[in-house]
Amino acid sequence: MNDISQASASAFQLLISGNNDIWEIISLSFGVSFSAILIATPVALVIAFLLAFFQFPFRRALIALFNTFMSVPAVVIGLSLYLLLSRSGPLGDLRLLFTDKAMIIGQIMLSFPLLVAMAHASFQAADRRAWETAITLGATPARAFFTLMYEVRFGLIAAVVAGFGRVIAEIGCSMMVGGNILHSTRNIPTAIALETSKGEFAQGIALGMVLLVLSLSLNAGVSLFQGKGELQA
Amino acid sequence: MSHLIDYKNLVVTLSGKLILNIDSLSIPNHQCTLITGKNGSGKTTLFKVMSGLLKPDSASIHYQGLDMNWKQAKPYIQKDIIYLHQQPYLFDASVTYNIAYGLYRAGESKTAAHNKVMQALDWANLSHLAHRNAKQLSGGEKQRVALTRARILSPRLLLLDEPTASMDTDAKQQTSLLLQRLKEEGITIMISSHETHTVEHIADRHLHIDQGRITSLDHSHSEKVTVLNTSKYNN
Ligand SMILES: Nc1ncnc2c1ncn2[C@@H]1O[C@H](COP(=O)(O)OP(=O)(O)OP(=O)(O)O)[C@@H](O)[C@H]1O
Ligand SMILES: [Mg+2]
Repeated sequence: MNDISQASASAFQLLISGNNDIWEIISLSFGVSFSAILIATPVALVIAFLLAFFQFPFRRALIALFNTFMSVPAVVIGLSLYLLLSRSGPLGDLRLLFTDKAMIIGQIMLSFPLLVAMAHASFQAADRRAWETAITLGATPARAFFTLMYEVRFGLIAAVVAGFGRVIAEIGCSMMVGGNILHSTRNIPTAIALETSKGEFAQGIALGMVLLVLSLSLNAGVSLFQGKGELQA
Repeated sequence: MSHLIDYKNLVVTLSGKLILNIDSLSIPNHQCTLITGKNGSGKTTLFKVMSGLLKPDSASIHYQGLDMNWKQAKPYIQKDIIYLHQQPYLFDASVTYNIAYGLYRAGESKTAAHNKVMQALDWANLSHLAHRNAKQLSGGEKQRVALTRARILSPRLLLLDEPTASMDTDAKQQTSLLLQRLKEEGITIMISSHETHTVEHIADRHLHIDQGRITSLDHSHSEKVTVLNTSKYNN
């Protein structure tokens, strides 16, 4: 009991004192996850929109596929990416394994199905008249798409926030393809796992607190935006 | 009699069911055509095809001296024909934004657009609602905003899908007043309805649609067409 409260106290100390290592880990975590979401989101939105608004072959199969991929464990995605990127793998020449780029790729793969599925649900629930109105008033399809995104913005923001929440806290994939290298690929979840297994609780608790606060706010954000969307309807 | 547009052999099937089968439909210029038909007779489907929003199985279209299939005609008809939904959809923004929406396509300058919007608001007696969120308006107010939003683009043909359905007498009156004025401005109008009385006085011509076929032409009205044609739009 005493140990834990002492560790918690030093955890606070670490955060407040601006301990270099800890803030480096935090910023790497955010950098990687932001990049992944930033890259994945535009593509996911376009795909979600096409799936919701147009008829084409294998549309239903694709929707089912994205829904299925949502529940693939992070460590399995990490493993697949590891095999692809390892020296002897098909993409080994890119020398990406154990870099932050590999972590970004992993997190893109991880967040993409979730982004598509949630954005698809938003577009699906959107009013078809919004699209038709934009078109009949002379909007180009591109502009009509942006208009439609604005109309369902709360659902889309919820999707992005949920996607970010999934990748910022995941450990399996980052561990496999990042390798938890200090100053280069160590992020919050891998650091927590490593430091704790070494018996150094303070850093683990400090990072855990950051993650906890973040998760709580993200979850609150998701429900807030989803609630807003419902009120609008 | 000059026609704005002619549709021929218009066929639409949805989910394997024949919804529309129209041999020929001509829209006379500067006139108001009323089309009545029961629920499910195909009015909305017809309007969506006419305005380029829904792809028919087949159609040939004669427009501006050109004979085209639907795909070739689509850019023209999407530009010149505006469809208004049975329940108009207003974007989740201010009334002003809604009315200005289509103006951006023309690359109109900000001040020119602003002036146009102000005039349009005044025209429809909507100035007091300018900054309200359009989603919060009543059904009748929404319809007037939608009409104004369409009129500001000077369409050549306006397709109004049951514009006065589910409105009280007051709102109906205000809407039909606007319709009357649109017509006087020379905009060609087509109105669908499952009841005739509210907009009857505006209509020059009365068509009927039943199970996707245009079946009858009311004679008293077609006579009125001829009269109007020779007196007002004789060319
Ligand atoms: N996507 C669709 N798939 C299959 N059938 C459809 C589809 N859309 C419309 N229909 C059918 O087409 C027919 C015509 O529908 P439409 O909406 O054009 O009728 P309407 O005359 O506008 O009716 P209302 O007066 O109720 O608005 C109806 O029988 C309807 O069920
Ligand atoms: Mg209808």
